[in-house]
Amino acid sequence: MGFVNFESAKESSMDFGGLPVEVVEAPRGAPSNTVLGTLPNIRKVLFSLFKGMSITLRYLLHPSTVVTQQYPENRNELKMFDRYRARLKFTYNEAREHHCTGCLICEMVCPNASIIIHNRKGPVTGKKEIDHFLWRWDICTFCNACVVACPHNALEMTGNFESAVYDRRLLIYNLNAYAGPPANALKKIEDPEERKKAMEARDVYCEFTPMAGASLPGIAPLAEKKEQD
Amino acid sequence: MNVHVSTLDEKTRSSLAIESHSETEEYFINMGPQHPSTHGVLRLILKLDGETVREVIPVLGYIHRSIEKISEYSTYRQIVHLTDRMDYLSAIMNNWAVARTVEKAAEIETNERIESIRTIVSELERIHSHQLGWGVLGMDMGAFTPFLYGFRDREMITDILEETIGARLTMNYIQPGGVMFDIHPDFVRKVKEYLAYFKPKLDEYEDLLSGNPILQQRLRNVGIMDAETALSMGATGPVLRASRVPYDLRKIEPYGMYGEVEFRVAIGTAGDCWDRYYVRIEEMRQSMRIIEQLIDNIPEGKFLLKKPAAKLTIPEGRHYSQIETARGVLGFYIVSEGKETPYRAYFRTPNFHNLWSLTAMAPGGRVGDLVAIISSLDLVIPDIDR
Repeated sequence: MGFVNFESAKESSMDFGGLPVEVVEAPRGAPSNTVLGTLPNIRKVLFSLFKGMSITLRYLLHPSTVVTQQYPENRNELKMFDRYRARLKFTYNEAREHHCTGCLICEMVCPNASIIIHNRKGPVTGKKEIDHFLWRWDICTFCNACVVACPHNALEMTGNFESAVYDRRLLIYNLNAYAGPPANALKKIEDPEERKKAMEARDVYCEFTPMAGASLPGIAPLAEKKEQD
Repeated sequence: MNVHVSTLDEKTRSSLAIESHSETEEYFINMGPQHPSTHGVLRLILKLDGETVREVIPVLGYIHRSIEKISEYSTYRQIVHLTDRMDYLSAIMNNWAVARTVEKAAEIETNERIESIRTIVSELERIHSHQLGWGVLGMDMGAFTPFLYGFRDREMITDILEETIGARLTMNYIQPGGVMFDIHPDFVRKVKEYLAYFKPKLDEYEDLLSGNPILQQRLRNVGIMDAETALSMGATGPVLRASRVPYDLRKIEPYGMYGEVEFRVAIGTAGDCWDRYYVRIEEMRQSMRIIEQLIDNIPEGKFLLKKPAAKLTIPEGRHYSQIETARGVLGFYIVSEGKETPYRAYFRTPNFHNLWSLTAMAPGGRVGDLVAIISSLDLVIPDIDR
């Protein structure tokens, strides 16, 4: 092909500091400089140019070889792999009870402090339990350290990768659906009324998340900002 | 002891003071930091005589993120994810460099399953890194089609890795004491399918770009670097091997499963751009050979031998270990005080050292040749600055 004969790649053994290393040499070639070599040169050039062109032509004539995905259009069919790491979530059992005990291991292993945990003393159990589990999607590096380190399998990474929003504060989430003890501690509370009291519902944006942040100094709450626009 | 570090100003002034050997006036021009063929934010100050390059002064630091300094405040497990952001095309191999150093220092043992998974994913990543390098070289030389072809095939490897690892670029896969996930049940089948698919495609690469006489003439005898210069510049990887030095850590100092597989080290003869280009093509072939030998017999066993939340300390002292990434030798050096975080961490990155060979190769050539040389070095700029 061209001026290089690709079959001429030489396999040999070389010595490197007393160690024999099996090597393969890259082929080389140059056009002929003589007058007689002109015609073979032209022949080689034309042949390899047409060979290259024929590949692109073949792909042009066979639309089945197109691999392009039309992303926003194929949103409904697009399925990410199970292990895809994008959005951190709590795992819940069938009764929508989480498994987080508030042990702070994930906060500890997180390399850039994108997890912030606030614990409280439970009103029913009297023990330490999760109040707010804040996760900052804006600075998370998706290293998966929190998921792997969690001793209770309370966290999982999901495939929702579409994070574009107009305000960065929207990417700070409160992950737990309720403030309260984990599933196995709730099992011990037998009275359903008591159990209801132990679980205090939490929004995605509430209290410590800046989105509830009317109190943030110098930053207008989002509702007001929208009106200004 | 006084160490004089010359500033950029001094360097350009001293370069200006050198007597020019032509009657025309020499001038300086900036290439980058936004030039597309510098592959990132790299600035080159060129001293030109007409169109002939007289001197190249690389200017770094535009994408410095102080990874080494952050490492001093991170535990050894947290350092791993920072290395993804250095040479993002060989993220897994960067992880391995940290994991290997930590394992060697803390005497953490691994089993054969872990080592073969590491080897296979690393070789897959080496292939996709070279595919991108191949495509980008084509694009720098003025052929846009190879770029798309390279990306098409690279996409399939990223898909395979994505299924197992869950990320496409910043893998954070190899951990001290194992790997983060076990391989996906489909992994072996898909890798085999891919190898069967990519072998004929590699011949297509040859027809499309390697066989192109324009490219051959554009790369041949451009940016020649002899073995001695390459060694003195500290170049490693395909850049060094193209200068006919068969130095490959996978052979010289086998790690992982490389000691037990058969493969050949690709070398060049002249050390020009063509050799650097073709060494990468040949390395893809050899990588496929390595994967073929390993993929059928991944031994059984655990994939992570150390609990990811357990405390990990390294005994006091200095520890160094290195591996061969797609671009050369990546070394990781730790000065430990016996704590959970290193006292000092240093990365010996391949691209930083490969870059300086540019100053030896480019003078005497044309500006167009310089583009070919940068492209054949296959630089990843975040790895230079880290």
